[in-house]
Amino acid sequence: MGLIEVKHLSKNFGSFNAVKDVSFQVNEGDVFGFLGPNGAGKSTTIRCLLSLIRPSGGEIKFFNKSLASHRLEVLAKIGCIIEKPDFYKYLSAQKNLELFARISGKNIEKKQVLEMLDFVGLAGREKDKVSGFSHGMKQRLGIAQTLLHDPEIIILDEPTTGLDPQGIIDVRNLILRLKNERNKTIMLSSHQLSEIEIIANRMVIINQGKTIVEGGVQELLDKQSLNVEITVDRPEVFEALMADKYPLLPVHRLYHSTYYITLETEERNQLTEVMVASGCGVRSIVPKRSLEDFFIKIISS
Amino acid sequence: MLWKNTQNELIKITSKIRSYIGIGALTVLILLVIFAMQADGKTYIGFVTSTFEQTLTFNGNILNGNLIAFIIMQMLIVHVPLLIVLVTGDLLSGELASGTIRMLATKPISRTGIVLSKWFAATIYTLIMTLWMGFLSLFVAHWIFGTGDLMVLNPDGLLILPSDDLLWRFGISMVLAFLALWTVATLSLAFSAFAKNSVGPIVITMAVIILFTIIGTLDVTVFDDLKFYLFTTHMATWRIVFEDPFPTEDILISALVLLGHVVGLLLLAIYRFNRKDINA
Repeated sequence: MGLIEVKHLSKNFGSFNAVKDVSFQVNEGDVFGFLGPNGAGKSTTIRCLLSLIRPSGGEIKFFNKSLASHRLEVLAKIGCIIEKPDFYKYLSAQKNLELFARISGKNIEKKQVLEMLDFVGLAGREKDKVSGFSHGMKQRLGIAQTLLHDPEIIILDEPTTGLDPQGIIDVRNLILRLKNERNKTIMLSSHQLSEIEIIANRMVIINQGKTIVEGGVQELLDKQSLNVEITVDRPEVFEALMADKYPLLPVHRLYHSTYYITLETEERNQLTEVMVASGCGVRSIVPKRSLEDFFIKIISS
Repeated sequence: MLWKNTQNELIKITSKIRSYIGIGALTVLILLVIFAMQADGKTYIGFVTSTFEQTLTFNGNILNGNLIAFIIMQMLIVHVPLLIVLVTGDLLSGELASGTIRMLATKPISRTGIVLSKWFAATIYTLIMTLWMGFLSLFVAHWIFGTGDLMVLNPDGLLILPSDDLLWRFGISMVLAFLALWTVATLSLAFSAFAKNSVGPIVITMAVIILFTIIGTLDVTVFDDLKFYLFTTHMATWRIVFEDPFPTEDILISALVLLGHVVGLLLLAIYRFNRKDINA
């Protein structure tokens, strides 16, 4: 079932078309990657999804209900972080969470607030004012705020921005825990393509305000050419073989017996068989396929 | 949800230092006036009564708590709006400037609900400021200077109001002062719905008050029809409560004009905030 359905979304700011035609669907249980270069319209789209911005056209549905006519009902089931989480700096972490808990649409007790602070690693700092928090601590508090009312959908816009490597790993693990242990549906916008590749099962790429491609992460990556780093035991035999069997295939010699080649889908399965049959031993084959390559290829095309 | 968010807004107001600047400044100002009147009040009264001393004889306690309260209200009605606006002008725009509006506007509360809860909180803050001003100016002044008849110098002449005829008049003047300050608070909230920073609405509200006050005092025919519709004209209505006979109709009209401003400005704030794209 499509928990989030976006159809032909558009948003104009005066004469500037920030979003022209964005469509995608997020299914129940998805970790959905929302990708695009800077200025592609990601933040505007997410703000439209959260009704911070009024769309100029198109349709947004959550749980098969129109956002425009069921706004409060929908927002009660969503948790989100938009860019950096901003809190009332003059209040403590606990007081901030209590404020948001009070208007979350659910009856959340003080004990649950403290448990959530413990869950994100802020136990012992609950009475400290947010003004003294580091960016990482604010991000954790933001995640606590997102999860406090146990939402069905979690929307995270650049949740790892400004975090150190350990912070990025912590957020990644947290997202995986939310998916695996709590079966949450997560929509994740990020510039960290490696993160999306690891944790997302589906994704959409937008550029210049339009949807470019949408689908399963592995499915989309499987369709593209595969870059392979191959190390062989007899380089001269390998080169002769490639010239004979695959004369059009670009082969780059990296080291003495290591080559970099790009294979199309139908060539992948044949290559090792042909090599073994011709007496050229394969020491290693390392696939170099990545979401980063795919992303750059899609955007540049 | 509306009441819960109003509670939140009150927590935010009471947790900010700037909320206490107004109350602190008001307290200091009133205590300074009381101190000055205690030290040199007789000279001050002498200036006023000297004009009438050839025809009238003044007996009893002229420099009393009622007169001090009247003087304090006259002096502070210009300054208290600034102290109120320091807090209310920041209510919406402050959230935009700090980015917390993103968190707030993605919770299951309507945009109208957000504005209304902030307006309720602003109303309560304004009420507290008015009551505090009333308490300090009336009760503290009575405690120090005692009670007595009130001498009011009007354009028509000198009016002496007996002390037992004053408490209800002070009550009504406080209600009118509250209406005036409530209008200012709602005006700043409306400006706050248009702005993206905290300073803008505060400065613009004060600029409007100064501009309207100047227009109201200009003795130019072309502005005569306009003056009635300026809320600043009705901000000084509390003073006519101390006239005799009591001008009931004028007071009711002023109260209605101020109430009309409050409702109109609140609707403007709701309309604007509902249509606002939150890009912050």
